[in-house]
Amino acid sequence: MHLGLRRLGSTPLTLKSFLTYGIFLQHVEALEILLQGLCGVQRERLRTHELCLKSAPNLGAVASEVRLLCDLEQTEPTWTVRHVGGAMRGAGAEQISVLVRTMVESKVSKNVLRLFYALGYKLDHELLRVGFAFHFQRGAQITVTVSSVNKMLKLHSTDEAVPVTPGIQLVEVTAPASPENYTEVVAAVSSFCEYLAPLLHLSKPGISTRVVPTAAAATASLMLDGGGTTL
Amino acid sequence: MPLKWLLHWQPNAGASVNSQILTEVSQCADSMNGVKEGRWKSTLTFYRPVIRVQDQALTSELPRDFLGLSMHDQPNKYYFIIRAQRLVLEADLSIQSIMEKLQSYKTRVALNFEGIQYRLGDFQLRVGKVAPINSESLRGIVLEVEYLPISSLEKGRQIMAEFLEIWQEAVSKRSLPGHFMHMETNFADYGLSDHYSSQHTAVQYAIVMAQLIASAQLRS
Repeated sequence: MHLGLRRLGSTPLTLKSFLTYGIFLQHVEALEILLQGLCGVQRERLRTHELCLKSAPNLGAVASEVRLLCDLEQTEPTWTVRHVGGAMRGAGAEQISVLVRTMVESKVSKNVLRLFYALGYKLDHELLRVGFAFHFQRGAQITVTVSSVNKMLKLHSTDEAVPVTPGIQLVEVTAPASPENYTEVVAAVSSFCEYLAPLLHLSKPGISTRVVPTAAAATASLMLDGGGTTL
Repeated sequence: MPLKWLLHWQPNAGASVNSQILTEVSQCADSMNGVKEGRWKSTLTFYRPVIRVQDQALTSELPRDFLGLSMHDQPNKYYFIIRAQRLVLEADLSIQSIMEKLQSYKTRVALNFEGIQYRLGDFQLRVGKVAPINSESLRGIVLEVEYLPISSLEKGRQIMAEFLEIWQEAVSKRSLPGHFMHMETNFADYGLSDHYSSQHTAVQYAIVMAQLIASAQLRS
């Protein structure tokens, strides 16, 4: 499981947790049924254009990277700037089964791409994420997103995007936290992710993973059950 | 949001701005039966790029007028303006934290615009001094004039002009060495509409700042 810390301005730090291993497309429907049962809320559609910008050579004390996210599901597309920091290191980081990174986000008006180009940033790559999300309370305010990652064949052409890894989708789990309740939120998110174990293999980035052997059986079971059981 | 014009004090040739002028201007508002409503403060920051290896080509490409602005009436927002590119951006306060983490730009100088707010009927007036943060050294005087009932720039133009005529007449009676000036702005160049917003205010601050710098350079 990959966890990251995200600071949203004056709001609490946010833990960002996502799986380093994807889920096969044929198991996504089963995952959705499982999540529906676990969360007890309706899913929301997700369609986000993500632009990764990097600083021009020699600009900045260090080379830097920033992500611009455009939510295409809204009537009027809305923009967010996201900065993801380096991973937490040291003896403490080695001992936990998660990777911790800081993340800061800001909602911005639509001129943001022009602004960063003017400030000397260049487009490194862009992606289109398509899928769904669940937002619910379970020991912490948790968000689970399941999405395909797609690349654009032409610059900014979100209508012409193809999957980067056909047949595989990315699952991400996020929750806000503060320095005071960090451990409780970690426990809540970890505990929740254990329910996903039949379908997903959880591992720390850098450690090779494999298809979880129970995925096919778990999928079959969930599809037969129809997803009517709340866990 | 209500329509707002930002004016700046333009000293006469050979004259400079000082705190006595600020006092006289405030007394003007008092004499017009303005009701004091408390203090206000906005902060403008000049940024400069951090270049880690001398690079003439890069330096010439980057903006020289990259400004950030926090406004008294938008405590959860931050604004960026690059006047040369007719660019204005509204963001959450956390954008400042992102810029710090990127380490590509740093603060060159920051200025406070602060003073007292007055209510005159349907108008709100904010008289403000311009000074570097942590310094009392006066660099300019500004006046925010807000007309509360109207948000349309066009529809509010005439009534704002009429109010300013009255205001300018009151100020001129004090025989001060200068006058308030309003710079006409083409907001459409910045992609802004007739409906007034905080982004319009951010653009006006950038333009007024450019005027204050130009005046200071002329005087020196």
